[in-house]
Amino acid sequence: MGTCEVTLESLPRYPEGKEILTCIQCGACSGTCPYGEVMDYPPRRMIAMMRAGMLEKVFTSDSLLACVACYACMAKCPRGIRLTEILLPLMKEQTLTHLPELPGELQKALQNTLRYGNPMGEPSRKRAAWVKTAGVPIRILAEDPRPADALWFVECYTSFYPRGQDNSRATARLFHRLGIDFAILGNEEKCAGECGRLTWEPGLFETLMDYNMAVFQKYRFNRLVTSCPHAHNAFKNRYPALGFNWGLEHTTPFLAKYLDRLKPLLARKLDCTVTYHDSCCLGRQNEFYEAPRQLLQAIPGVKLVEMVHNRMNAICCGGGGGGMWLDTYFKAKGYERLSERRVREAVATGADVLAVSCPYEVSRFEDALKVAGYDKQMVVRDVTELLAEAMED
Amino acid sequence: MRTGVYVCHCGTNIAGTIDVHALIGYAGSLPGVALAREYKYMCSDPGQELIRQDICDYKLDRVVVAACSPHLHEKTFRQAVEQAGLNPFYCHMVNLREHDSWVHADKPAATEKAMDLVRAAVRRVKWHVPLERRQVPVHAEVLVVGGGIAGIDAALTLANAGKHVYLVEREPTIGGHMAQFDKTFPTLDCAACILTPKMTAVKAHRNITLWTYSEVRQVEGYVGNYSVTVRRKPRYVIEKLCVGCLECIQACVYKQAKVPDPFNLGLSKRKPVYIPFPQAVPQVVAIDPETCIEFKSGKCKKTCVEVCAERNAIDFKQQAEIQTIQVGAIILATGFDVFDGARIPYYGYGLYPNVYTALEIERLVNASGPTGGEVVLRDGRKPASVGIVHCVGSRDLHTNRYCSRVCCMYSLKLAHLIKEKTGADVYNFYIDIRAPGKAFEEFYNRVAEEGVVFVRGKAADVYPAGNGDGRLIVQAEDTLLGMIRKIPVDMVVLATGLEPRADANDVRRLFNIGCSGDGFFLERHPKLAPVNTFADGIFLAGCCQGPKDIPDTVAQSGAAAAQALALIDAGVVELEPNTAHVLEDACSGCKTCLPLCPYSAISFVEEKKARINEVLCKGCGTCVAACPSGSIRQNLFEDEEIFEEIDGLLASAAVGGGPVRIQGDL
Repeated sequence: MGTCEVTLESLPRYPEGKEILTCIQCGACSGTCPYGEVMDYPPRRMIAMMRAGMLEKVFTSDSLLACVACYACMAKCPRGIRLTEILLPLMKEQTLTHLPELPGELQKALQNTLRYGNPMGEPSRKRAAWVKTAGVPIRILAEDPRPADALWFVECYTSFYPRGQDNSRATARLFHRLGIDFAILGNEEKCAGECGRLTWEPGLFETLMDYNMAVFQKYRFNRLVTSCPHAHNAFKNRYPALGFNWGLEHTTPFLAKYLDRLKPLLARKLDCTVTYHDSCCLGRQNEFYEAPRQLLQAIPGVKLVEMVHNRMNAICCGGGGGGMWLDTYFKAKGYERLSERRVREAVATGADVLAVSCPYEVSRFEDALKVAGYDKQMVVRDVTELLAEAMED
Repeated sequence: MRTGVYVCHCGTNIAGTIDVHALIGYAGSLPGVALAREYKYMCSDPGQELIRQDICDYKLDRVVVAACSPHLHEKTFRQAVEQAGLNPFYCHMVNLREHDSWVHADKPAATEKAMDLVRAAVRRVKWHVPLERRQVPVHAEVLVVGGGIAGIDAALTLANAGKHVYLVEREPTIGGHMAQFDKTFPTLDCAACILTPKMTAVKAHRNITLWTYSEVRQVEGYVGNYSVTVRRKPRYVIEKLCVGCLECIQACVYKQAKVPDPFNLGLSKRKPVYIPFPQAVPQVVAIDPETCIEFKSGKCKKTCVEVCAERNAIDFKQQAEIQTIQVGAIILATGFDVFDGARIPYYGYGLYPNVYTALEIERLVNASGPTGGEVVLRDGRKPASVGIVHCVGSRDLHTNRYCSRVCCMYSLKLAHLIKEKTGADVYNFYIDIRAPGKAFEEFYNRVAEEGVVFVRGKAADVYPAGNGDGRLIVQAEDTLLGMIRKIPVDMVVLATGLEPRADANDVRRLFNIGCSGDGFFLERHPKLAPVNTFADGIFLAGCCQGPKDIPDTVAQSGAAAAQALALIDAGVVELEPNTAHVLEDACSGCKTCLPLCPYSAISFVEEKKARINEVLCKGCGTCVAACPSGSIRQNLFEDEEIFEEIDGLLASAAVGGGPVRIQGDL
């Protein structure tokens, strides 16, 4: 079954729908939801309304817009109800169609993604422009279509956004030094589309899936590596319905597999205290908790400390499920920014580096540190950036 | 051949899915069938009488009963057939209910399958030969494994009936988890006050051989005739000579106790020479070789030996002792493990010092516990507010799906005790309060009246308040208010559930019994044989079978004792004749079968032939299938019987010429 086709009407016929009937209304979902306090209908209440046949009321509230698709409710549900995977996106879709108008920032991002293949609205012909600054050769398949071991799916923020490009340059240098046979799609690449799905736009998502699959099929490679946990999610859970059957890795766990070869390269001592923020998609959704920590601990001079909420209990940066483009909307509603809640925990550890594994988080946390006045005492770095920094002679 | 076929409706269990009229019409037309009948409840007295009468009136020589599982009623129908003068093994059952009507929804297809199954049975049963059951004497002794309240109670009941009991306990004392509890719900009587008299009664009983610090290593034999090997671990103290004066503990070169005390769950320390708790039975110390200086360096002053003086009870050279006993029945009362709270990372157990498990609080409120009964935090402060988190490791597919049954009630009890001792505000974070026992609901009412607060919602997170006051926040949705609550508390108590023992699987294999999906030992029938197992002569008592409270445990241990008594008091046990036997003329002596037998029932005899001890053989058929020369046969599973049954089952496929159709288990 491709869960893409499930609708609210057809849901009761699927096992995922039957699970919802087993809800014991314990409220663990709402209790752990980072926006549980501000929602009129947090997940438990939403299920109760659904079972009472009163969903219309839920749709006319904008509650579900606050769902940042962080998987926290799903991770703690004692009945294993697939809230983030199935139910919440369906609810969100209905909520958005009931809204008098779509929040402007979100509307713009979705339009951009459809038109340019990235939410920032950057021209697609400049997608590979960063490659020239990498300092190491990067093969673009359109120019040199020989088979590659790893197809590196760079993704949007890491292609266009300057701080995202830092991550890409670091990744390229690491791949190069490790002798990995890799290539990228360059300007042919478009957003994997996971954000589109979770922000209710299934049509947009399917367009992007069809496009990317057609590009993949032009080339020969063994596995796909991406530094974006959201893209990883899409390739893992959605693309297989369209025939995606290549190996799939996220950069961080991928690099952790090369730890033995990487360690001798990490010659430079960094002397810093690092706390690691578990990305929701990489952590709760894929349980890659230890790989990023192993990498960080392999860096000389790094002292790793933990935030109060870590691993499966980590607090979301607020960027998932479309939250990346709802900051203005949330602010107007008076919601606390989750990235600010998170950096306060990070600062409380006494660390001077907040390490991340998701391209959304760099900009979100750097911004939050500035707003909360902590930008002098803490910096945000992707794990790959730290590794590359430690590798430089 | 004059076969009678009897089809049971089992109410609507069978008749609701299978067209019974069509089935008997079909059965009556089969070759060799003299008559076919249906009846609403074949197992009822009139149902059985019908069969008996038909055997006499119609001179039936074979009977096929198409009804439920042979597990339930094979005995019933064999007995009915026997009463009418036929050999009971001329009767064969077809499992229409479990194999057909309960597992299919398509009625015509289910009816067709029923016809196939009945035809197979009719063709098989004509090959049946008369068989005799064997009787063997039973040993009158009983082994009870586990010395918690379940084992203690079962042992005492049997001993009082005049039977000799071996009570084997792994720890240095009996008492089990109950000895760690303070008060018991809902009556609040002191656990020690009601348990210790039973513990001393065990020690004093002339019919009980008590082996503590001992473990069962090997079990051989069969119902009525088990041979059990027990390893008595060295406690480095000669039990007969130790008088329990405890002077050695006083005299130990360790002036301060340094080793975490498992009885107090590490909340206090003990010395390398110790007695688990003041009322331990037997009142005999033990020495822990892991921490004793003499074991580590061999250079201790041995002040313990000095003070023991002419009693001379300490023996650093003591070795494990192996004992082999013969028993007729075994009662397993191996208890439970407490769920490890650290497995749920977001409750902070093991991370935040003021997060406790309920069992730790039992020790804190207990007058003989590490704080002398004071409920205090690790830094000695009295808590002003306490959160009790329910369902930790229960009702959750990430840990255990089942309800642990006792946590609601012990949480209410602890709420009462904590409030009584500290005056703290006590919050219960619960999903449902399950208070279904005698006087339980009344107790819930009483605790609510005392001002204990109930927040209906599963605790979602426990984390430090972050303002430096050392408090913890328990975050949960109060589902009745429809709002998220963040309640600051000084102490969090995790109402941890009950789990199968970590080594339950090893124990299960040792005794050759089964376990249910949750890992607890499996009873023979959930309603009608709740203390029996699928291994005859082995019975279950207490939490090894599933979580239960003390009254239920004691009721079950009484039932297990009664079952064991019924078995050994009969003096003999009848063995089913479905065993394997070697056709000695055909046996080539290749020994293939010998290592395959799970029951060690096959031996190799002088004349270079395999021989099967029919008393040990359980009729599993492994050797029969493995024998390369086909010289091992098995009663009730002779080749002719099996092949005829298969041919019968597939006959409709052969006739129709279509593809072979196999539905369900054969």
